[in-house]
Amino acid sequence: MAVVLIRLKLALMRHSFTGMRVLGLVLALLGAALTWYLAVSSPGPRVRSDLLPLVFAVWAAAWALGPTVANGAGTLRSQYFALLPMDRRRTGALLLVTAFVDLGPALTLVASAALVWHGASLSAGAALVAVPAALLLWVSLISLSRLVFRALGAAMHSRLGMEIASVQWGLFLALIFFGWMAVQPALAATLELRDRGLGEGPTGALLAALPTSWPVHAVDAAGAGAWGSALGWLAATALTSLVLASVTAVLLAPRVTARGVRRRGRPPGARPLSRPARAVLPGTPLGAVVGKELRQWWRDPWRGLEVRASLWAGLFIGLLAWSSDTFSFFAPFAGVICAFIMVLATANMYGHDGTALWLTAVGQGPGTARADVRGRQIAIALLSAPGALALSVLFIVLTGEHWAWPYVLTGLAAVFGAGSGLSLLFSVVALSPGVDPQLRVDANDSGDNQVQVWLSLLSLPVLASPAVLAAVFLGLAGAPWAAVPVGVANGLLGALWLGRIAHRRLDGRLPETFTRIRYGKAVALQAVPEAGSLLDRLERTAISGNEETRPQGS
Amino acid sequence: MANDDGPALELVGLTKAFNGTRAADGVSLAVPRGALLGLVGPNGAGKTTSISMAVGLLRPDAGTARVLGVDMWSDPVGAKRLLGVLPDGLSLPERLTGGELLTHWGGLRGLERGLVRERAGELLRVLELEEADDRGVLIAEYSTGMRKKIGLATALLHAPRVLVLDEPYEAVDPVSARVLTAILRRFTDGGGTVVVSSHVMALVEGLADRVAIIARGRVLADGTLDGVRGPDATLEDTFVRLVGAREVGEDELAWLSS
Repeated sequence: MAVVLIRLKLALMRHSFTGMRVLGLVLALLGAALTWYLAVSSPGPRVRSDLLPLVFAVWAAAWALGPTVANGAGTLRSQYFALLPMDRRRTGALLLVTAFVDLGPALTLVASAALVWHGASLSAGAALVAVPAALLLWVSLISLSRLVFRALGAAMHSRLGMEIASVQWGLFLALIFFGWMAVQPALAATLELRDRGLGEGPTGALLAALPTSWPVHAVDAAGAGAWGSALGWLAATALTSLVLASVTAVLLAPRVTARGVRRRGRPPGARPLSRPARAVLPGTPLGAVVGKELRQWWRDPWRGLEVRASLWAGLFIGLLAWSSDTFSFFAPFAGVICAFIMVLATANMYGHDGTALWLTAVGQGPGTARADVRGRQIAIALLSAPGALALSVLFIVLTGEHWAWPYVLTGLAAVFGAGSGLSLLFSVVALSPGVDPQLRVDANDSGDNQVQVWLSLLSLPVLASPAVLAAVFLGLAGAPWAAVPVGVANGLLGALWLGRIAHRRLDGRLPETFTRIRYGKAVALQAVPEAGSLLDRLERTAISGNEETRPQGS
Repeated sequence: MANDDGPALELVGLTKAFNGTRAADGVSLAVPRGALLGLVGPNGAGKTTSISMAVGLLRPDAGTARVLGVDMWSDPVGAKRLLGVLPDGLSLPERLTGGELLTHWGGLRGLERGLVRERAGELLRVLELEEADDRGVLIAEYSTGMRKKIGLATALLHAPRVLVLDEPYEAVDPVSARVLTAILRRFTDGGGTVVVSSHVMALVEGLADRVAIIARGRVLADGTLDGVRGPDATLEDTFVRLVGAREVGEDELAWLSS
């Protein structure tokens, strides 16, 4: 059975060899090479037993985060096998086995084998212990990867789980954007790392305690002739692998419960049609869109993840900056950074909605597309502005850096405004469909948006530059408060102008936009002229640049 | 604006190729006013592709469609106002309740709020979705049949004059199917026109007064039920005669009865 599943996986992989997979493989290859370089070139066993725990911890972190961040819908989705006349647990276990068959895991095995080299340098007995230790480590690493991936997916079915996933994502975003602030002192030390190891200190002690270091302890103990302790560490490693693998197998088993059944009672804000509340929003197409969007943002875990992760990322970045000496002046800008991340998170709204765009397409009236774009802009602003504002207030008050007020307000207005126009423009022109909403299971089923993220990272600073320049020069001139109206004007113009381009494009190309979602990459490319306008070229770039995570069943 | 005579829905040489394969190859049909047309064909015949082009969801490579004389591809807004559509297997705003979806949809269509509330309430009651709405059940939690029914409600809400429904009976229980049939009959009695796609021949035979058979992207037959059926005993015989059927030989799949 395992062989059948592995063949299926290889067949599926042959049909989807993507750029992201190549990048992953290159990283794994570099990782394996670096692991062996450090193992071979370090001056002695003592330094090596300091370095290997660090290296293995990095491998574990990479495996835990990589697959989730890499935006893949997963090759063998467990729901494919729900109808097999086989115990669900057994299906889960078999699926876990297939996770080991790939180039990435193979390279990881190569890297783990550096432990055997380490053992061989100590004694023949240590080398003997190193073989099972390396294998067990390998099993732990790969199981951990699937565990984190599926746990995030499972978390999407409850509100608390979604919140935990948001904290993880927020922390991850904070680290990739501003982790260097914390790491910088450590980085300076790295230069000496290869020659001296970590030495004594809290970092070394923490690393030594991690389960990824236990196989190294086992080998070291065997090298020192302490066989009891060697076997003890080996047993602990085996137990870790066993627990990880069993929990993962359970999580990989196909779900047989219906989606969303954990919710009790009426969703927030829902009233039955028979007992309507007093209407707050106007009874126009625009009001209808704002109402729908606010409800969807509030209730959809995939959307909730985006909003919450931006807030958490802002909070963590603020804390990181505040806790470092050099960059603490930056902490008041946590809210602005949160607004920035929010723009990245909302740059694929139509991809998020999937084929539900048919409603807008068949219901198209004279101002439908305009109402749809403007309504989404308003809903996003209503949802995200209070959080970013609260973060700003929190950090300015905490740090006592009250000089920052005018700069933060200018920044918020410019980033929110220009960003709201930009994200809707990308949502229309560069949309990238994921697994269709009613089939979503995993945390990153909602469509790849790497093209939008990179383009936003580049263009949002440019779009907000009038406000930034005004803040710098007026600040130097001693009148920073005069920059606030410039920021507001910058934001308003950006929101109106880019939003207008977005809704005109959508209005003229509703069927084409729907085709992108419904029929996938190849057909979508037929509908965009090759040597067209700037928007056409942007659309082609997004279609070819984003990974296709279209519905493959679930 | 809509003209007063001529067919209610007209498909004129609709053609679409996906990756070099012609899914629809010059599909032409004329559906008279007040008719209930059954569009039948085997899996992959091009039914959904043709319907998508007729209702403005997919731009044709060639050809066009007209709703009461209004061209879908030169005056989409005018044509879509007259048309109610139920596509097959697509998403909806999944995190709304049925009532919220209809309220949103009416607002987006520019209908007056009181009117939307009245019609939406009636539709939910008739389609037996009222209890789910009272409990606050989200569309993501609906069964396949319930999804069909709320989709039908969105197609009907703005009181269109032509209905195009892709597989409306699929996964709908027999009781709801009777309700659906009664709704469609009332609609045509009032002068409305309906196109229903299906691959269940018996259903179409009992429901429709006109039939079009489509296979390999082409229209093979089109006319009144009796006209298309001709000398054949059932519509299924006609279908098999036109489309061709693979018979299962004596020795094939013998292991199934062993």
